[in-house]
Amino acid sequence: MTSPGRNPMKGKSGIPSGGRSPFNWRSLFGPLRPRREGTMPAGLIIVVIVLALCVAGLLDADSTLRKSNAKGEGWRNGIAKTVASVTDTLHINFFRNSIDDALGKNQGTKIDVEELLRQQAEAESAASAEAAEKVPELPAPTPATPMKIWVGGDSITQTFGTSFQRITQSTGIFTPTLDFHVSTGLARPDFYNWPEHLVKTVFPANPSILVIMFGANDGQNMVGADGKVLERTSEPWMTEYRRRVAATMDLLKSPDNQRITIWCGPPPMGPGTKTRGMDQMSYIYWSEAQSRPWIQYFDTWPFFSDSNLSFAARLPNADGVVRGMRQKDNVHFSTVGGDRLSWAVIDRIGKLVDLSAGKVTPPAGQAPPASLVERTEIPPSMPGAE
Amino acid sequence: MLFPTVDFAVFFLVVFTGSWLLRPHKIAWRWFILASSFVFYGWWDWNYLALLSLSIGINWFLGLAVFRSLTPEGERTNASRWLVRIAVVVNLGILGYFKYFDFFVSTIADKMRSIGISVDAPILNIILPIGISFFIFQAISYVIDIGRGQWRKPLTILDFAVYLSFFAHLVAGPIVRASEFAPQLDVLPDPRYVRSAEAFMLIFRGMFKKVVISSFLAIQIVDPVFANPNAYGPLAVLLAIYAYAIQIYADFSGYTDIAIGVALLLGIRFPQNFDSPYIALSLQDFWSRWHMTLSRWLRDYLYIPLGGNRGSKAMTYRNLFLVMIIGGLWHGANWTFVVWGAIHGSYLVAERIVKEKWKGHELGLPPLLVKAMQWFLVFNVVCLAWVFFRATSVDEAFALLGRLFASSGSSAGVSLLLIFVIVASVASQFVPQRFPQKAEVWFATWAPALQIAALAGGLVLVDALGPEGIAPFIYFQF
Repeated sequence: MTSPGRNPMKGKSGIPSGGRSPFNWRSLFGPLRPRREGTMPAGLIIVVIVLALCVAGLLDADSTLRKSNAKGEGWRNGIAKTVASVTDTLHINFFRNSIDDALGKNQGTKIDVEELLRQQAEAESAASAEAAEKVPELPAPTPATPMKIWVGGDSITQTFGTSFQRITQSTGIFTPTLDFHVSTGLARPDFYNWPEHLVKTVFPANPSILVIMFGANDGQNMVGADGKVLERTSEPWMTEYRRRVAATMDLLKSPDNQRITIWCGPPPMGPGTKTRGMDQMSYIYWSEAQSRPWIQYFDTWPFFSDSNLSFAARLPNADGVVRGMRQKDNVHFSTVGGDRLSWAVIDRIGKLVDLSAGKVTPPAGQAPPASLVERTEIPPSMPGAE
Repeated sequence: MLFPTVDFAVFFLVVFTGSWLLRPHKIAWRWFILASSFVFYGWWDWNYLALLSLSIGINWFLGLAVFRSLTPEGERTNASRWLVRIAVVVNLGILGYFKYFDFFVSTIADKMRSIGISVDAPILNIILPIGISFFIFQAISYVIDIGRGQWRKPLTILDFAVYLSFFAHLVAGPIVRASEFAPQLDVLPDPRYVRSAEAFMLIFRGMFKKVVISSFLAIQIVDPVFANPNAYGPLAVLLAIYAYAIQIYADFSGYTDIAIGVALLLGIRFPQNFDSPYIALSLQDFWSRWHMTLSRWLRDYLYIPLGGNRGSKAMTYRNLFLVMIIGGLWHGANWTFVVWGAIHGSYLVAERIVKEKWKGHELGLPPLLVKAMQWFLVFNVVCLAWVFFRATSVDEAFALLGRLFASSGSSAGVSLLLIFVIVASVASQFVPQRFPQKAEVWFATWAPALQIAALAGGLVLVDALGPEGIAPFIYFQF
């Protein structure tokens, strides 16, 4: 810092001293001897920052493109694509990809859901295809023969799922498994491929009931089959998302029609959240589930909203005491909210499977009021929904 | 606009270049910085700019009115006192509306329901404008300082607008005072000697803390355990508590490191906001190292006006306790913050009482052991308070603490890497400041090409080690 009286920006000639000597590229390669420790001229700082950002941008082009694809940033996405294609051609992305490989990140997917479905259809006998036309009839679980139940999805399922796991365990007739993966959904198979995970990890364990919840992370742009970026909640986006939902639902059908999936729609999100299109996604899930008896859509919306079906962070349970249902982010459930949803889902399962051998009567302080029911029909959109 | 993003990198390049080119032209430079700050703030939501502009206009006008009501010698008058009070009420009114209205209404409605009166609470679901607590506190300090006669003349509206909205400190501090900031507007920094090495180190360190450390701890253990403590056993819960202490430090100090570094590149020096807080041997020491600019704000504008330590011991204890409770409430409208403040307030009071009682007494233990015991106690009290700070409700905080004594539960998320990150993060605070300072001086002598390679490699590494996407900084919500 200098005194206010003197203008350090100007040399004797009156030209800003930062630009007095012409820039010499060779000076970039020699060590610096700053006259004041730890300093550098502003002009050189610009060069350093610009070049550092350019080099980082080139090295990191694939990662930038992935993020840009998710956001779908128009012209910025175009730039990201161009840079990524250049770095790919020149193999400059080797450095970043090596780090990713070492960390086991962004491995992408080689699985083809359509191919899996084709194989499934071929393996399916005519008899089982006919059986799949009705809701699977599962044997009643007992403490001696507990039923395998799997609960999974994104980070919302983290809280809900841990409640669900604890509560189903306490009934004495279920053997639960919790399997959540934060920041995941169906929009970004390059980040996490749920169909692949279901096939490789979930199905081999042979659970009779799956409880699944997606959506909170899916309100982002997607890359369609043709490589085009689809702007979130646009018509082409909806078509592609519907296709993915339908394919995942088809994948969930078991060859012997002995598996039910409770597909939980997302709850309404509170103010200040970045989630979008929860209502529209709910509609897609619901409408696709209508033609698939092995998928039972569960409408969480009324259980976490006020009488106008708008977001409500605090709600009364069956005992009439008002409690906080959501975490501070207005997205994730609190433990109380997780318990509430768990009992509601167990109640729904009880309508499909005989659960009378288990302790399935919820404490009034954990369960939703009996007056709350799912909607019979989900509208395509809800004005004002986050 | 978040700091560790491509958007901000492009924004800053433009601001950096424009700022140094326009620096000799005082008025043009101020307008440029003001416009840049508005773009930065409006990037989230342009509607918030109205609130920021309103805050600038009201506080500048009140500052001027307070100044004019002082005596020519700068002494307070009845009018100046009243105007200061009005300014405080107006500012706290704005803050209260956005931050506490829903909390207040829902608390009353819950109480009424508990006595059998059913009410339909008018919850407005108000979205809290980012950084409102920070710029409101800065505005209050400006008007109060004028009222105390600490300013010989008020700032021009342009200078005040630049001060209040300066993008580097706008959304999460540090809480800079006008007396620290305004003089730097008139002093032209020498463009030949920009403190680049310190700035680069601060920015890189901040990004690493935020993107890598904070995110890793949040995903690995903190979020799952705090979301459902009943599923976890004592080890996972204990590590989640320690991990949160590191997470919030890495997140918040990471942001201020970047903010200080960014400002430094523009020739503006901000006050330090963190000074290795987890090496503190007393809670008083902790508060002289944690969120230092908030601590001194609370001291100068709350603790001292309440009487500070000028009255009886009981009054001093009351003042300490009250300041911590209010400091807790500043963070948000939730009883969890009140409990957090109460723990700090009670411990500060207890610390004073014990110190006074034990003055001159020797324990007869080796000094190093005494220090280790003091450190352990303070660190764990701070961590205990963080549990309430992080939990959604007081009940959930107690549920989590109860799991420390559970006989079973999952240890999911516990790993050697997690323990290493926690231990290394605490240990890093014991590293003397002279080591990073020497590294900065050495870095500044590197050939620019080498600096470019190091910075680029560092950015790629941070991005690779971090999660997909950047979570908002924790302190944005305050």
